[in-house]
Amino acid sequence: MTLFVALFSHYRRHPLQLLALALMIVLATTLWTGVSNLTERARASLAQSERAVAGQQQLVRVDGQAVSVRDFAVLRRQGLCVMPWLEVRRPAPAGRVIGVDPFAGGCFGDQVPGQAGGDALIGEPFLDIGDAAALVDQDNPGTLSLLVPVTVLPAELPPGYELKDFSLGPATGELGESFLLNLDALGVLVLLITALLVRSVYQMGRVQRRESFALLARFGVPPGRVQRLLLMEMVVLAALCVLPGIWLGRWLAAVLGGGFGQALEGLFDTPLYAVEGGGFALPAVVMVTMVLVACFTDQRLWAKLPGVSAAGPSLWLAMLFLGVVMVGVTPGLTWLFTGIALVFVAVGVLTPRLLSASAQWWSDRAGGLVLWQRRELAVLFRRLALPVVALQFAVAMVLAVQALVTTFEDTFEAWLAQRLEAEFYVEVPDAARAADGVRYLASRTELGDWHLVQRGTARLSAAAGSGAPVEVDLFAIAPIGPLVTGWTLQTSVADAWSKLAAGEGVMVNEQLARREGLKPGDSLGLTVGGQAREFAILGVYADYGRPAGEILAAGQRLPQAFRPQFESLSMNPGDVTMTEIEQGLTEVWNAGKLTVRDNRSIQALASGVFDQTFLLTRAITVLTLVLAGTSLLMMGWVFFSSRAWYYRLLSV
Amino acid sequence: MTEPVIRVTHLSKRFAGAGDTVTVLSELSFSLPDGGSLALTGRSGSGKSTLLNLLCGLETPDQGEVQAFGETFPAAGGRSPKAASERWARLRRRDIGVVFQDANLMPALSLGDNVRFRARLAGQTQASSAHWLAQLGIGELADRYPDQVSGGQRQRAALAMVFAMKPGLILADEPTGSLDHHTADAVADSLFSLQQSTGCGLILATHDPALAARCQYRLDLGHDQPVLTASSAAPSPS
Ligand SMILES: Nc1ncnc2c1ncn2[C@@H]1O[C@H](COP(=O)(O)OP(=O)(O)OP(=O)(O)O)[C@@H](O)[C@H]1O
Ligand SMILES: [Mg+2]
Repeated sequence: MTLFVALFSHYRRHPLQLLALALMIVLATTLWTGVSNLTERARASLAQSERAVAGQQQLVRVDGQAVSVRDFAVLRRQGLCVMPWLEVRRPAPAGRVIGVDPFAGGCFGDQVPGQAGGDALIGEPFLDIGDAAALVDQDNPGTLSLLVPVTVLPAELPPGYELKDFSLGPATGELGESFLLNLDALGVLVLLITALLVRSVYQMGRVQRRESFALLARFGVPPGRVQRLLLMEMVVLAALCVLPGIWLGRWLAAVLGGGFGQALEGLFDTPLYAVEGGGFALPAVVMVTMVLVACFTDQRLWAKLPGVSAAGPSLWLAMLFLGVVMVGVTPGLTWLFTGIALVFVAVGVLTPRLLSASAQWWSDRAGGLVLWQRRELAVLFRRLALPVVALQFAVAMVLAVQALVTTFEDTFEAWLAQRLEAEFYVEVPDAARAADGVRYLASRTELGDWHLVQRGTARLSAAAGSGAPVEVDLFAIAPIGPLVTGWTLQTSVADAWSKLAAGEGVMVNEQLARREGLKPGDSLGLTVGGQAREFAILGVYADYGRPAGEILAAGQRLPQAFRPQFESLSMNPGDVTMTEIEQGLTEVWNAGKLTVRDNRSIQALASGVFDQTFLLTRAITVLTLVLAGTSLLMMGWVFFSSRAWYYRLLSV
Repeated sequence: MTEPVIRVTHLSKRFAGAGDTVTVLSELSFSLPDGGSLALTGRSGSGKSTLLNLLCGLETPDQGEVQAFGETFPAAGGRSPKAASERWARLRRRDIGVVFQDANLMPALSLGDNVRFRARLAGQTQASSAHWLAQLGIGELADRYPDQVSGGQRQRAALAMVFAMKPGLILADEPTGSLDHHTADAVADSLFSLQQSTGCGLILATHDPALAARCQYRLDLGHDQPVLTASSAAPSPS
C-alpha cells in the first residue's frame, strides 16, 4: 500500500469519476486533433496551390498551335530545361489526372511545379506521362503544356517559341489566409473549452479528495510529494487517454475532411495531400500540457496576479466593453479575433462572480429552511461555475462560427461571382486579334451576355506622394453589360454603370481607393499607353482582398495606344453550345487549341469546399457544445447525489 | 531516570479571535519520560487538542519550545521554520502516532488498507493489518470502508493504525469519546496493554476521569497554572 496506490484508490472507489475524466481527455484530444489536422491539410494544400499558381511559366508556340511531344523533343535536344505536363480531364468521378515525367523535372531543382512536399509528384493525381497519354481519347481530352523554370528568360528561347504564365488555378492568397485564421481560431477555442471542462471534472474529484490530502499532511507526508504524485497520476492518465484521442481525431478529420479535400482540389486544381499525421508527438505534448495546466493551475495564483484582484469587476467590465467595441468596429480579422478573445476572458471571469453574487443576494433574502435551501443552491452555483463558463464559451463558439461562416461564405460567393460572373471564359490567343472574336460574338445574336476583358497596366500620374509613379492594373471591358454591372459597388455616383459605358469615367477597386484616398467624384490622372488623361471616378467596387490596385474602364473609350497584355472573352452561351462557339472562334482566329475555362464547374466546386469545410467546423462546434452541456449535467448530478443525505434530512 | 520523550518549556499559545486574542496556553512546562503515560484533562475549550497539536508540530507555539525525540523545535519566529516543519513531518510519519478527534482514516481505503498504508509510511513494511485490527477487536471489518463502519469502530481502526506504525509516542484525542461504557473499557484495556507491551509513550486528552486515572500522570489544563501530577490510582513511576 504505497502512497501512490493510496492516492489513486480514490478512483477505485469512484470509478465513474475516473471514467468521466478519461473520457473528457479523450474527447478533448479528439476534437483538437481533428481541427488541427484539418488546418494542417488545408494549409498544406493552400500553400501548395499558391506555390503552383505563383511563378510558373510555360513555353508556347508563336504560331498559336498547341505544343506536341515533337516540340518537347526539339527543345530538350537544344538543352533547355522543359517538363511535359499532360492534363487529362475525365468525367467525374474519375476526375483529373496529370501526366508528368519526373526525370524531365530533375533540372527544375526545388522549383518543380505542383510540388507540395518532397515526393509530391508521386501518386494521385500524378501519373507517369506514358500512362496518362494512354488515357487520352474522345471523352477524356488531354492538354499538353511544356513548363520551364521561372529563371528562363525570353532571350534564351529558340525561335518560334515564347513564354507565357502557367497557372494551375485562380490565385487564392488572401482568401486562403483568412480561411486558415478561422480554422486556427477554432482550434484555440476548442482547446480552451475542453481545458475548462477537463478542469471542472478534475476539480470535482479534487474537492472530494481534500480530506485525504489534509490527513496525509497530518501523517507527515510532505504536501510537495503529494502534489508530485498527483501530477504523475495525471501524466499517466493523460498519456493513456491522449493516444486514442489522437487516433480518433485523425479518424474524424479523415471522415469529415474527405469531401473537403475533393472540393478543395477541384477549386484550386491541386490535390489535398493527406498530411502524414505530423507525428503523434506534437498533439500528445500539446494535450498533456493542456491537461496538466488545466488541472494544476492554482486559482489563487490567478488572483495573486497584480491588478486582477485589486481592480475587481470594473477591469473585467472594461475589458468586456473594449472587446465588444473591437468586434464591432475592427477592420481586420486579427483584431476581430483579439476582440473576441477579450470578450471571452472577461465573460469567463465575470460569470462565476455574477453567479455566486446573485446566489448570495438571493439567499440573503430568505429565512429558515428556504434560506438553507438557497445557501445550498449558492454552493451549487459556485461549484458549477467552471462548466457553466465552458458551456457559455461553447455556445459563443457555435454562434461565432456560424457568423464567421456566413459572412465568410457570403464574401467568398461574392468574390467568386465577381471573378466568375460569366459561365465561360475564353483566352484570346496571342497571335489572334481580339476584335475578330468580338465581331464573331456580336454576329451570334442567340448568344447570351458577353464581354471582352483587356488587361494591361496604367500609371497614376498625379500621385500625391510624388514618389515613384504607381502602377495599377487596368481592366478594359467592352461592352459594359449585365456581366459587370452586377458587381457590388461600395460607393458610387448616380447611374455609375451607364456613365462608365458612356466613357464618362472609371471605377477603382477598394484597395486603390483606400491607398490613394479616392472617392467617387474625384478626378484621377492616368497615363495609359503613354498618353496622360484625367478620368472622373464613378465608383469604388469591392475587391475581396486583392492587394493590387485596379481600374475598370469601358474598352471603347480608352486611347488607341493602350496595349493590353492579356485578353479574354467572358460569355454566357445562351442558346448556343459552347462547342459551337469554340469552333467559330477557332476559325475566325485561325488558331489551334483554345483555352476555355468552365466557370460554373469551378463555382460549384468552390461552393462544395465551403459546404464541406463548414459542415466540419459546425460538426466540431456542435460536438463541443454537446460535450459542455453533458459535463454540466453530469456535474450537477454528482453534486446533488453527494449531498443527497442533506436533502433527505430536509424531507424528514 | 529515563530520558524524557517529550519536554515542554514555557509554552504559550494564543489565537487571534474576532477582534481580540484568546490565550489558550501560557507558560506551560512539563516533561514526560519515555514510555510514560499522561492524561490531559480540563473542561471543553481549555486547550487539550491545541496542546496535542503543539506536541506534534501541527501548531507552532507563540513562545517557548518543544523538545521531542531529542530534537528541539523553537517557537514561531525562530530560524528556518520550513526545516522545523519538515522535521516535525518526519517525526509524525515515523515516531509520533496521532489519533484525532475527527477524521483519521483515508476514506478511499478499507480499514485493512488504512492500517497497512499507515504502517508503510512509518517504514513498517511487514506490519500485519489483521493482527492489529484483531488486537482492537475489529478483525472482521478489515475489508470495510470507513463510511461503512460505526464511529466507535473508526476510532478503534485509527488506534490500530497508530500501533501498527510502532511509534515512540502516541497522541490520542478523546480515544474513547464516542464509545459506550462497555466498549470504552475494552478499547482502553487494549490501548494500555498495547502501550505497555510496546513501551511507547502515551498522551491522551479525555473528559473521562476513569480513563485519566489509568495514566501515570495527569495535567489539568483547567487550572490557571497547570502542573504535571502523578495520578493517584496508577502506580508512581520508578
Ligand atoms: N484555529 C483556531 N483559531 C482560533 N481559535 C482556536 C483555534 N483552535 C482552537 N481555538 C480555540 O482555542 C481554545 C482551545 O481549543 P481546543 O480545541 O484546544 O479545546 P479542547 O480542550 O480540545 O476542547 P474539547 O474538549 O471541546 O475538545 C478554544 O477556545 C478554541 O475556540
Ligand atoms: Mg478537543
